[in-house]
Amino acid sequence: MTEVDQASRIAEIIEACPADQRFALAALQDMQHAFNYIPEEGLSALAEHLGCSQAHLYSMATFYKALSLTPKGEHIIKICNGTACHLRGAMNLATELKRDLGIDPGETTEDGTFSVELVNCLGSCALAPVMVVDGTYHNKLRVEQIPGIIESYASQGSEEVADHD
Amino acid sequence: MSEKLTITIDGVECTCEKGEYIYDVARRNNIAIPVLCRSDAFADHRACCRICIVEVETRGRRKVVTSCVYPIDQECAVYTKSEKILEERAVILSLLAHRAPDAQRIADMNQAWGREGFERLVTIDNEKCILCGLCVQACDSLGTGAISTVLRGTEKKVDTPYDKPSEFCVGCLSCANVCPTGAIEYEQTATTRTIWNREFSLLFCPDCGAPMGTPESVRHAVGPEGELPTVCDACRKKRLANEMMQTYRYV
Repeated sequence: MTEVDQASRIAEIIEACPADQRFALAALQDMQHAFNYIPEEGLSALAEHLGCSQAHLYSMATFYKALSLTPKGEHIIKICNGTACHLRGAMNLATELKRDLGIDPGETTEDGTFSVELVNCLGSCALAPVMVVDGTYHNKLRVEQIPGIIESYASQGSEEVADHD
Repeated sequence: MSEKLTITIDGVECTCEKGEYIYDVARRNNIAIPVLCRSDAFADHRACCRICIVEVETRGRRKVVTSCVYPIDQECAVYTKSEKILEERAVILSLLAHRAPDAQRIADMNQAWGREGFERLVTIDNEKCILCGLCVQACDSLGTGAISTVLRGTEKKVDTPYDKPSEFCVGCLSCANVCPTGAIEYEQTATTRTIWNREFSLLFCPDCGAPMGTPESVRHAVGPEGELPTVCDACRKKRLANEMMQTYRYV
């Protein structure tokens, strides 16, 4: 996404948001959705629109885990580390991902394809251990399956890039 | 006029208006309740340091409340030094003392009100802040809004957005002055002031040479259209007094 695109997209999101502080979170979520993170320009433009301080929005953006101030990867991998998943080896999945992608939970790969996050419970304890990639659940996962799953998303990502060109 | 009530605080009879906070009534009657996060600068209090807890007894039932925000709505008996309060206050103080070991005021309070038996708690090194948020409240109420609490849980702290010098900060030191534990650091030399990683120049009164604050804070105080003061407050009063004397000398 070019800078001009980003600026116009920010303007669109802000346009759609009523000028009241209670809509701050909704607008921040829209930005997170559009850019995979909240750009600094977006934060200051929204603060001006809502008539609140930038610091106030920054406080919100750092508080909620769903919002991020640094660019997230194209594909977001969530490893459930709730009690059931933890007992069934969620941390082994994290180690395997570290081996394949070279990143720890909370980080993003250098090429911006994958982000790995550790979450506390996805509510699917019967299917433990669970890993969610872009909203798709991978159940009763074994460590051997991970490279294949990563591969399918990585190739899917490159196709998308090829389409844009 | 609102309803008058008579309550007892530690056995002393006090009259108050309905809706007044226990802390205010106690202070008026010279009954000291220790506090950290309460400031006279604001009408609404934060009630987050929890040191000002007292016991309130109504119709034979007792409960623990924070006195700085508890409005009196009926006749009651308040106990600020009951055994339960002393014990709970000691717990709160020891938690705060381990959270902010460098804060002298908390150490002093812990001397006065604390108790033994909290050695197992882990101390955070070089910390003074108790995250009461008074500084943020001060900055917001001035309309500058340069600082806020960032992150959450154990990483929570007070900072400017992106950890960068804020363009909205006017260097007025309100945050540092309102801080109960002196946690907000700033440096002041003969001609500059540095706070929140931003350096400000200082204005001096042309008459007496006293510092008048930063140019940004003086501008902020009078508003974007307002007329900037030429001399400091004390000198302005002196000038006015002189003028009055000249005017009324022959009357």
